[in-house]
Amino acid sequence: MSSKFETQLLLSRPYLTRKQLLKLQSNTITDRRTYNQKKIAIYKFLSDICIQLKFPRRTLETAVYFYQRYYVFNAFETELCYTVATSCLLLSCKQVETIKKANEICSVSLRLRSAGKVTPDIIDNFKKRVLQIELRILEACAFDYRVNNSVHIDEYVVKMGRELKLDYQTCHLAWVIAYDALKLETLLIVPQHTIALAVLKTAHELLHSRESWPKFRYSAFETDEYSVSQAYFDILNFFINSFSICDLRENLPAGVPPVSIDTFIELKKNAGHEFGLKEASDDAIEADAYLTTPRDFSIRERRYVLSPKLVADEAQQKNFNNHR
Amino acid sequence: MTSSSQFKQLEKLGNGTYATVYKGLNKTTGVYVALKEVKLDSEEGTPSTAIREISLMKELKHENIVRLYDVIHTENKLTLVFEYMDNDLKKYMDSRTVGNNPQGLELSLVKYFHWQLLEGVSFCHESKILHRDLKPQNLLINNKGQLKLGDFGLARAFGIPVNTFSSEVVTLWYRAPDVLMGSRTYSTSIDMWSCGCILAEMITGKPLFPGTNDEEQLKLIFEIMGTPNESTWSGVSSLPKYNPNFSQKLPRDLRTILQPHTKEPLDDNLINLLHGLLQLNPDMRLSAKQALHHPWFAEYYQHP
Repeated sequence: MSSKFETQLLLSRPYLTRKQLLKLQSNTITDRRTYNQKKIAIYKFLSDICIQLKFPRRTLETAVYFYQRYYVFNAFETELCYTVATSCLLLSCKQVETIKKANEICSVSLRLRSAGKVTPDIIDNFKKRVLQIELRILEACAFDYRVNNSVHIDEYVVKMGRELKLDYQTCHLAWVIAYDALKLETLLIVPQHTIALAVLKTAHELLHSRESWPKFRYSAFETDEYSVSQAYFDILNFFINSFSICDLRENLPAGVPPVSIDTFIELKKNAGHEFGLKEASDDAIEADAYLTTPRDFSIRERRYVLSPKLVADEAQQKNFNNHR
Repeated sequence: MTSSSQFKQLEKLGNGTYATVYKGLNKTTGVYVALKEVKLDSEEGTPSTAIREISLMKELKHENIVRLYDVIHTENKLTLVFEYMDNDLKKYMDSRTVGNNPQGLELSLVKYFHWQLLEGVSFCHESKILHRDLKPQNLLINNKGQLKLGDFGLARAFGIPVNTFSSEVVTLWYRAPDVLMGSRTYSTSIDMWSCGCILAEMITGKPLFPGTNDEEQLKLIFEIMGTPNESTWSGVSSLPKYNPNFSQKLPRDLRTILQPHTKEPLDDNLINLLHGLLQLNPDMRLSAKQALHHPWFAEYYQHP
């Protein structure tokens, strides 16, 4: 393949539907169960590093986005995933401006995982491997920083909560739920401000089930009903299916009544018909080369653009040149 | 890049803070581009400056801001593909030096360039982005007289650096006095001070405050703009590097300083604009939007 293509132009697609993700992951994740188990372990591991190095939530959020996005386009191997996660965190620090030396991040990462002595040589070797993965992560994101540049869930929980005149307790509860929401693939499906609205809605429903969710136009928050619903049902399904691994249970803000699986089953029942983003048909997914063709990293020059116009202009010019 | 690349690499254009820049040609479209090859740091990996530059510039689409087209990953090298510009303002002004005497630009050209500079800065500020390293080298021009802001490597993300990643020292000449005195609460006004320095430099062909260290830089600024005190700038004495023993100077007349270096008479509006941009107190400095509405630019905004 690499002999046929010397250069490749790729348009960024920062968000994908669940079906599209599954299609892509069918090329990279052979054992979904192991992947999911490891993901939870990695989330805890990244959280621990963030606590040790006093990183804010946005650093963790961006690292988790990078980690999940990486395995959409790169084969999942259990041996490598802690190195990938460390690399994601290093990159996240650069992205969200919580700069720390690579040595320091690598050293904490190693100490958290190994009982033995972490010598400078061990750190150095580990760092080399971490840095090698960095560019691969950026590629998996098509160098598209619109995703993690300025909008982060925790910040928007506060901003939108204030805008919607929700009380302090609701926003606080939403902030705690948002920590669990980072464990979901929803980060790869809808933008962060949409997830923020969905966690606010979840918190509101938990605390004020008798009061209806405020009426407002979703477009006023640069989102839509389908995206918010997608995130909302993802969150409810997580608490229903994986309540044992949620952090909410042990971290309920003062005054919030205890929650259980039944609480969320009840919420889901009250939410009516489950709906979310419109999925493409199976045929359309099979016909989409972006989803069906595994990334070929042997192509020497891989170009990433954000603007469809740039791709169209170049394709048009190429056709014109070919016909001359 | 070899012939297998989409881009033909042409001559080297220069060394940036974290990259080497080449002229390039898109072999399909025939469009010239600037190829910025990022140097990957063996200690820290991909420079955060490169990451910030990509993230900011991919969002900034304005006719007075250099466009980032795409990012190329080739083996272990990262290349940013920018819109190509023929020249930069520094080289352009240097090319007009006669013997050892720098020459200012014609005032009509100064006005046109400065208008474009303010348009670009205004757009950045509206997009909540501080450039933080405005200087003639970072203002790119082409033979149509267009001026565009480039090099967003230091934009928004980081404190004002003393040293670049190489041994080259980041110039102090365009740095605002509040920043020099250690203010960490600076905002858009930091770029406006640089705009004032650049305006004066375009008029005379010489940098207005060519200091070699922080102390000298402040001394040069105070010698022309006067030494600030609590009555002229409330809060100045609380700045970390404020020194009550700063040599006390009174403000000098800017026209007297600049006029000998230009053949054309400097009108009151231009001097007034300079004063607005070079206010020591950042709260008193004109914003980019205000500067664009200054009477010196009346011919632009009255006859668009």
